[in-house]
Amino acid sequence: MAVVADAGSLYGLLAVGAGLATGLAGIGAGMGEQGIGAAVVGVVAEEPGFLGKGLFLMLLPETLIIFGLAVSLILMFAWTPFAGIVTP
Amino acid sequence: MLRPVKMSRVVVAGSKDVISPVVEKLHELRLLHIVNYNGNQPQFEIGKPIGKAKEYSEDLIKLRSITRYLDLKNKAPDKTFPESQILSEMDNLLNNVGADVIATYERITAIEAEVKSKQDLIRSLTPLAVLPLPLESYHGYDSLATFVGTVATPIDADVARVSPVNEIYTGSAKNATQVAVFVPADKASEVSAVLSEHGFSETSVPKLEGNVDSAIAAQESSIKTLEAEKAPLLKKLADVKKQHEDLMLATDEYLSMQTQKTEAPLRFAETDNAFVIDGYIPSDQFSRLKSELESAAGGKLEVSLIADKEAEELVEKGEDVPTQMDNPSLVKPYELITKLFAIPEYKEFDPSLLIFVFFPIMFGMILGDVGYGIMIFLVLLLLKKKFRTPGWQQLINVVMIGSVWATIFGIFFGEIFGPLGLWGRIMGHLPEHEIELAKEAGLYFGEGVFGSLGRLGPLGIFPLDRLATNAVLLLIGTSIFIGVIHCSVGSILGIKTFLGYGEKKHAYFEKLPVLLFQVFLTIALLGLIMGQMWMVALGGIFILVSMVMLVMGPEGPMGLAHVPFYLSNLVSYLRLLAIGLASVGLAYAANQLAFYVIMPMLSGGAKDSAEFTTLAIIVGLLVLVSVHFINLLLGILSPFMHPLRLHYVEMFTKFYSNKGGGVEYSPFGHVRRFLKA
Repeated sequence: MAVVADAGSLYGLLAVGAGLATGLAGIGAGMGEQGIGAAVVGVVAEEPGFLGKGLFLMLLPETLIIFGLAVSLILMFAWTPFAGIVTP
Repeated sequence: MLRPVKMSRVVVAGSKDVISPVVEKLHELRLLHIVNYNGNQPQFEIGKPIGKAKEYSEDLIKLRSITRYLDLKNKAPDKTFPESQILSEMDNLLNNVGADVIATYERITAIEAEVKSKQDLIRSLTPLAVLPLPLESYHGYDSLATFVGTVATPIDADVARVSPVNEIYTGSAKNATQVAVFVPADKASEVSAVLSEHGFSETSVPKLEGNVDSAIAAQESSIKTLEAEKAPLLKKLADVKKQHEDLMLATDEYLSMQTQKTEAPLRFAETDNAFVIDGYIPSDQFSRLKSELESAAGGKLEVSLIADKEAEELVEKGEDVPTQMDNPSLVKPYELITKLFAIPEYKEFDPSLLIFVFFPIMFGMILGDVGYGIMIFLVLLLLKKKFRTPGWQQLINVVMIGSVWATIFGIFFGEIFGPLGLWGRIMGHLPEHEIELAKEAGLYFGEGVFGSLGRLGPLGIFPLDRLATNAVLLLIGTSIFIGVIHCSVGSILGIKTFLGYGEKKHAYFEKLPVLLFQVFLTIALLGLIMGQMWMVALGGIFILVSMVMLVMGPEGPMGLAHVPFYLSNLVSYLRLLAIGLASVGLAYAANQLAFYVIMPMLSGGAKDSAEFTTLAIIVGLLVLVSVHFINLLLGILSPFMHPLRLHYVEMFTKFYSNKGGGVEYSPFGHVRRFLKA
C-alpha cells in the first residue's frame, strides 16, 4: 500500500521542520551565550571599559539562530520543489 | 571626518621662574595632551609640585569626607560660582559647616549604635519574662551555680538525682521550656551534663535589677528618646545638604583644579633651572598655543614643533599619539558606540560617521512602524530633559535618530501599531477583488494604500506588508544587499588602514580577497535567482581567485579557515528581516487578539464592531495596550542591540582595532561645571 501525503500534511511537516530549525538553533545559541555572558559580566565588574568588547563576544553565537532562521525561511517560502504542492 | 584630528608633537621648554604662569595658562587653554616624563634620562629629573599642593590636597580630603557624610552625589549644576566666592566661603565651609556636619554625623552613628545595643538587650530579656524571678536574683552567688536557658524535655527528676539540693523555676516559652536552675557550686559540672542531655541551650542574663517587664519597658522608652533625638539631626544634615550642595561641589571642583595645577610638574622633566613639557596638540592649534604661552611667560620660554620624522621615531619607541575624533555635531552621539568598543588608534579610521549612516537605517528597518517610532521619539524627548549627563544625552540622541528612521520605514511598511489596524482605517486599503487579482498573479505585497495615491513603487510594492510571502523574499534580498554594502565598506577601510600602516601584504592578500569574496558571492547568488548563468560563472571565477589570494596571503592555507566566517557574516544580516518579523508578529498578534478574538468573544460572538459590549472593549483595549507596551520595550532593545552587533562583529572585524585601542586626547585642564570662568 502506497503512502499518499496530501498537500495539507506536507505543509504541516514543513512548518514543523521550520519550527525545529529555528527553535533548536535558538537553544544552541543560548547555551553558547550562557557561558560567555557569565564571563563577560565578571570581567565588566572588574573593568567597565571591557563592556563593548564583551558585548561583541557575547553576541557572536547569535548568528547560529540566524542560520536556523535562514533554513526555516527557505523551507517555508523559498523551496520551489514544494511551492507548487503547498500553495493552495 | 573618517580620520581623527591631525596631531603635532610639541616640546615646551622654559625657565623655572615662569613655571607657575605657564601651568596656569596651559590649564586655562586646555589644548596640550601631556606625555608624562618617565625619568629615563639622567640629565633630567621628574619635576616637583609647586605652590600649596599639600594644603590643597588636605582640604580636598576634608571636603570629600564631609560630602561623603552628606551622601552628596555628582549632579548637573543648578548655579555657578565665581572663584572669589569659593575662596571667601571655603574656610567657613570646611571648618564651621564641616565640623558641624561631622559632629552631627558622629552623634547619629552613636545613637544608632546605642539603639542597636538596647534592642539586643531587649531581645535577651524577653525570654526571661516567663520566669517569676526579679533580675537581681540571677547574679551574685558564691556557693550557688546558676543555669538559665531553654530545655526540650522536663528536667526536675534528673537534676534531683545528681543534686538533691536544688531550686528549679520553669515557664513555657514559644517552642521550648525556659528554666532557671540553682544548685550548689560543687554539683555544677554534673548538673551541666544532665542538662545537656535534655537539649539545654543557655540564655545570657543581663546584669540588671528589678522586674523583667519593667526593665524591657525602660529600654523601650529610652530607644524612643534616642530616636526622637535622631530625627532632627537627620533633618539638619538634609538641610545642610540642600543649602550647600552646589557650593560644596563647586569647592570640590576648585580644589581639584588647584591640585591638578600644583601637581602638574610631576609630569614634567626638570633641571635645576629649567623645565621641559612634552605633549601633543591638534596641529591647527599650535600657533595659538605658542603665542599664548610666550606672552604668559614673557619670553622666558620656547615652544617648538618636532619634525614628523622625529615624531615617527618616538611613536616607534612606544609613545601613543592621542586620538581626538572629529565629527560634526549630528554624528557626535555615535562616537559613544565607537568608544564603547575601543578608541580608534591615531592612524586608524574613526567609524562614527559610518555608524551614523548605517545604524539608524538598520534600526528603522527592524522597527519600521509609524506608531512605535513616534511613541519612542516622544518618550525620548521627555527623558532628554530628565537625564542630562553627556553619556545619557548621547545615547538618547542615538535612539532618537533611529526612531525617526523607524517612522520613515513605517510609512514604507504601512504599519501604525502593527499591521491590521490603524493604517487601513486612516489611509484605506485595496478593494477585495484587487487583492484577489494580485494574489493570483503572485504579486501580492500587501493591501494597504497611500490614501488616494493607491499603491506606489515598482509593481506597487509599497506599502509593503512584511508578513506577506513576497515581502519576506524581497526583504531577505534587501537585508543581504545591505550586508554586502556594509561589509564591503568595512573591507575597503581595512585595505586602506593596512596600507596606512605600510603592511601591503596584509592589505592585498588578507583584506582584498574578502572584499572580492563578498561582492562576487552576491553576484553569483543573484545570477542563480535571475537564471543568468554568466553571472554565476563570473562570481564563481572571482571567488576562486579570492581563495587563491587568501592562500598566498600572510596566513597561508590557514587563511581559508576564515571563509566560513565571512560567509556567516553575510547571512547574519538576515537578522534585519528576522527581528523585524518578530516585532511585526507580536504587534499583529496583539491586534488580532484584541479585535478579532477577545472583543467578539466577550460580546457573545458579535461580528460587527458596533455590537461590541463596553466590557469587551475595555478588556480588549487592556490586552491590546499591554501587549503593545511589551512589544515597544522589545522594540527599543532589539533594534538597538542587533545593529550594534552587526557593526561590532560584522563590520569592525574587517578594519577596526586591529592594533588594539588608541589613547583618547585628554588635554591638561579642567572643564568648569560649577565654577564661573
